[in-house]
Amino acid sequence: MRATWMHSIRGKLTAIIMLTSAAAMLLACALFVAQHIIDERHQLDMELQSFGRLIAAHSDAALTFNDRKAAEETLSALRAKPSFLAGRIYTDRGVPFATYSNGTSVAMPGVPRTDGIIRRDGRVEIFLPITRDGERIGTVYIVSDQQDLRNRLKTDAQSTAIILLVCLFAAFILSSRLQRSISGPVVELARVAGLVSRNKSFSVRAIHTGGDGDDEIDNLMMGFNSMLAELEQRDQKLVLYQTQLETTVAQRTAELTLANEELLAAKNAAEKAATINAKLARESALILNSATDGIFGVDLDGEPSFLNPAGAHMLGRALDELRGASIHTLIHHSDASGAPLPEKDCPLGLAMLRGEPYAIADDTFWRPDGTSFPTEYSATPMLDEDGNKAGAVLIFRDVTERRAIERLKSEFVSTVSHELRTPLTSIRGALGLLSSGLLGPIAEKGQRMLEIAVTNTDRLVRLINDILDLERIESGKVELTRGSVDAQAVMDQTREGLQSMADQAGVRIVTEPAAGSLWGDSDRIIQTLTNLLGNAIKFSPPDTTVTLSGTAGATDFTFCVADEGRGVPEDKLASIFQRFSQVDASDSRNRGGSGLGLAICQSIVTAHGGRIWAEKNDPAGSRFQFTIPLAVPSSVDASTIESIESATTEGQDSTAHLVLVVEDDADLARVMTAALENHGIRTFHATTGGEAIHLSRLHAPSLIVLDLGLPDIDGFAVVGSLRESATLGHIPLLVYSALDVGSADQSRLRLGPTEFLTKSRCSMAEFERRVLSLLATVPDRNKDEQNAA
Amino acid sequence: MPPKQILVIDDENDIQEVARLSLQLTENWIVMSANGGAAGTLLALSEAPDAILLDVMMPDMDGPNTLRVLQQQGITIPVIFLTAKVQPADRQKFMQLGVRGIISKPFDPLTLGQQIREMLAWE
Repeated sequence: MRATWMHSIRGKLTAIIMLTSAAAMLLACALFVAQHIIDERHQLDMELQSFGRLIAAHSDAALTFNDRKAAEETLSALRAKPSFLAGRIYTDRGVPFATYSNGTSVAMPGVPRTDGIIRRDGRVEIFLPITRDGERIGTVYIVSDQQDLRNRLKTDAQSTAIILLVCLFAAFILSSRLQRSISGPVVELARVAGLVSRNKSFSVRAIHTGGDGDDEIDNLMMGFNSMLAELEQRDQKLVLYQTQLETTVAQRTAELTLANEELLAAKNAAEKAATINAKLARESALILNSATDGIFGVDLDGEPSFLNPAGAHMLGRALDELRGASIHTLIHHSDASGAPLPEKDCPLGLAMLRGEPYAIADDTFWRPDGTSFPTEYSATPMLDEDGNKAGAVLIFRDVTERRAIERLKSEFVSTVSHELRTPLTSIRGALGLLSSGLLGPIAEKGQRMLEIAVTNTDRLVRLINDILDLERIESGKVELTRGSVDAQAVMDQTREGLQSMADQAGVRIVTEPAAGSLWGDSDRIIQTLTNLLGNAIKFSPPDTTVTLSGTAGATDFTFCVADEGRGVPEDKLASIFQRFSQVDASDSRNRGGSGLGLAICQSIVTAHGGRIWAEKNDPAGSRFQFTIPLAVPSSVDASTIESIESATTEGQDSTAHLVLVVEDDADLARVMTAALENHGIRTFHATTGGEAIHLSRLHAPSLIVLDLGLPDIDGFAVVGSLRESATLGHIPLLVYSALDVGSADQSRLRLGPTEFLTKSRCSMAEFERRVLSLLATVPDRNKDEQNAA
Repeated sequence: MPPKQILVIDDENDIQEVARLSLQLTENWIVMSANGGAAGTLLALSEAPDAILLDVMMPDMDGPNTLRVLQQQGITIPVIFLTAKVQPADRQKFMQLGVRGIISKPFDPLTLGQQIREMLAWE
C-alpha cells in the first residue's frame, strides 16, 4: 500500500527527484570510493615496492658479506610503517637470512616465491630480487596488512555518507521548490477542475503563477483556460438558449392552450354539427329511400354520384353499374318500340351533362335485362351555396301504371262516347222524324214534348262531344296544328257561324276591326271564339249587343268577347272555367250548354301558351278575354320584312347558310353582315327582340347572332321564346354581347350549340371564325328552307 | 227523272230504319239497307245504287274495309261515311281513303238528304 503522499503530484515529483538524485549520488559515491580504494591499493603497492627496493638496495652488502646484523638493521627500517607486519631476506639459495617482525604472528614462507605482489588473507605480500652488478644474490619479502587502508576507507565512507545526506537534503529542498513550477499549475488545474465539477460553473480560471514560460504546462493551462472560456461561453449561450427555449415553450404552451380551447370549441361545434348533419343525413336518406320516384345524381363530370333505392329498383341497376358508360347507352339507347336512338342530341344526356332544367313527359328507360318502362323525368342542376353548378339530379318515375290508366280512361271515354252515340243516333233520328210531322199529325202537347226530347238529345250529344274533346286536349292527344292565323279572319268566321243563332235570339253581333297575325291552330281558336261568343249570345237578352274585338300587344294578341247580359258574379269570375261550373244550376238546362265549354276554351288557350280570364263589363254584362301569341310582333314594320324577302331570295345561292344578326346598333350590324357575306353567307338583320323572334320563325335561319341588350325585350326573352319552337329550339346560337355572360346566365341562353363572345374582347376575325365553326355543325340547309316555307 | 237509290250499310237496324224513313220522307229516294259490310257489298254489286251510306264501326267488316273491297271490285259508286267518330284526325284519315263525305252520328233526319245532295253535288 502506497503512502498517501504518493497520490499527490507533489509527492510523486519529489519522490522522483529524490530517488533520481539519490541514485545518482550513490553511484557517484560508489565510483569515488572504488577509485579511492584502487588509489589506496596502488599507493600501498608503491609503498611496499619502495620499501622493498630500499631494503634490497641496502641489504646487498650485508648479503655479500654475510652480515646478518646489518641485514636485520636494514629490515628494521620497516618499523617506520606499523602496517608492515614482518619482513625477511632470503639468500640466493632461498634460505632465510634475516627476519623482522613487528610482533604480530605471521607465518612467513620458508622459501621465496616468484617475484611480485601477492594478496592473501587480507594481507599484501611482496617478493623482490636483491641484485649486485646485475646478479641475483637474494630475495626481499615484506608482508603488510591493510588496516590502514580499511581505516582510511571507513573514514571515506563516513564522510561520503554525510555528504550524501547533505546533498539529498539540499536536493529535497530544491526539488520541493522547483517541482512547484510543474506541480503548481497541475494542482491549480486540478483545483479548478474540481471547482468546475463541484460548482458546475465555468466562470473560474486557472491562475498562472509559475513564470512566463512557453512550455507544455503553460500551454496546457492556457488551453484549459480557453477551453473553460469556450465552455463558459457555450454555457452562457446554452443558458440563453434555454431561457429562450423556455420563453418559446411558454409561449407555445399558451398558444397550444388557446388552440386547444379553440379546438375543443370547434370539436363541440363539429359534434353538434355532426349530430345535426347525421340527423339531416338520416332524414335525407329516409326521404331518398322512401321516395317512390327514382332520384339519380351526377357530379360535374357526369359521373354518377347517387341513386336512391326506388331508382335502382326501376333501372334494375345499382349505382356502380351506372358508371363506365354514358347514361344514354345504359338506359336510353332505344325508343319505346325498340328502335335505337342516336346518342347525339340525346335530351337526357344533354340535360345531365349541361345541368339545364329539362323535363320530358314521355320517354322510355331500359333495364339491363332488356325490359323497359315508360317514364317521365326532369333534370335539374344542383347548385352549391355560391350558386355554382355542382352537378345535376335526374328525377324519374315509372309511368307504366299511369299510362295504362290513361289509356284505359281514354279508351273508356272514346268507347263510351261511341256507344252512347249509337243509340242516340236512333233516338235523335226517330224524334226528329216524329216532331217534323212527316209521319203524321201530332197533338200540340205531344209536339212540344217531342221538341224537348230533340233539344235534350242534341244537348246530350254535345255533352258527349265536349267530354271527348276535353279529354283529348288535356291528355295531349290533340296536337295543335300551328300556323300563321289572321285575327280578323277567325273573328269573321266565328261571327258567320253564330249569326243565325244571334238573329234567333235578337242579339246584335258587332265585330271591331282588328289586325294581327297569330301563331296557332285556327280551328281551335275559332272553337274558342265560338264558344265564348255563343255563351255571350245565350246569356244576352234580346236587343242587346255582343262585341267581338281584338288588340295586338308586344308579343300577344288579345281577343275580347263582351256582352250586356246579366254578367258573372265576381266570386265566380275565376271558377267559371272549371268543368260543369255554371253561374246558375238551371242554366245548363235552359241554355243547352254542356258545362264544359269554358273548360275546353281554357285548355285550348293554355295549349297555345296564352291565358284566359273573365271580368265584369261596364256598365253591364261580362267580358271574356284570352291571348294567343303573335306570329308577327307589332314592332316589326312591313318594310323590314320586304327587305328581308329580297335579301334572302335575290341572286343568292339558296343552299348557302342563312344567318340572323340581332343587333340594335345599325352600324355594327352592317359591319357584321358584310363580314359574313364575304364568306358567302346570306344574312338578315333584326334590331329588336320581337323582330328577332318573328323573323326567326319566318325564315328559320341556320344560326342566330344575338346581342343581349335590345330595345324591347332582352336576349334572354328571345332565347326563351325560341326554345319553345320545335324547329328553332336547337339551332346554333352565338351570343355576342357587350358584357361577359356568367355561367348561370349562359345556361339560360342556350339553344343548340351555343357560344359566347364579348364585343370588347373579340376581333371581327374571331367573330367570323366562330360563326363559321358553328355553321359547320349545321348539316342540311334544305331542311331549314322547308321549315321556313 | 227516276228516284235516287241509296244503300245504307249499318249494323244497327234502328239506324237503318231511321235513315230509310228520313230519306224516303224528305227526298222520296229508294232506300235499301244491309246489316254489315259483306251483305252491303253484295247488294251494291247487284243493285248498283246511286250512293252508299256506310257506317264505320261494324263488327265483321268495318267501314274502311268495306270501302276497300268495293274499290277492289271496281265499284265507283260514291260512298259517304256515317260515323260516330268525330275527331278531326279521323275525318282526315277517312277522306284520304276516297270517301265523298262524312256525316256524323247522330244526324238530323230532316237534313240528312240535303247533306248527301250537297256532298254528291246533286242539284
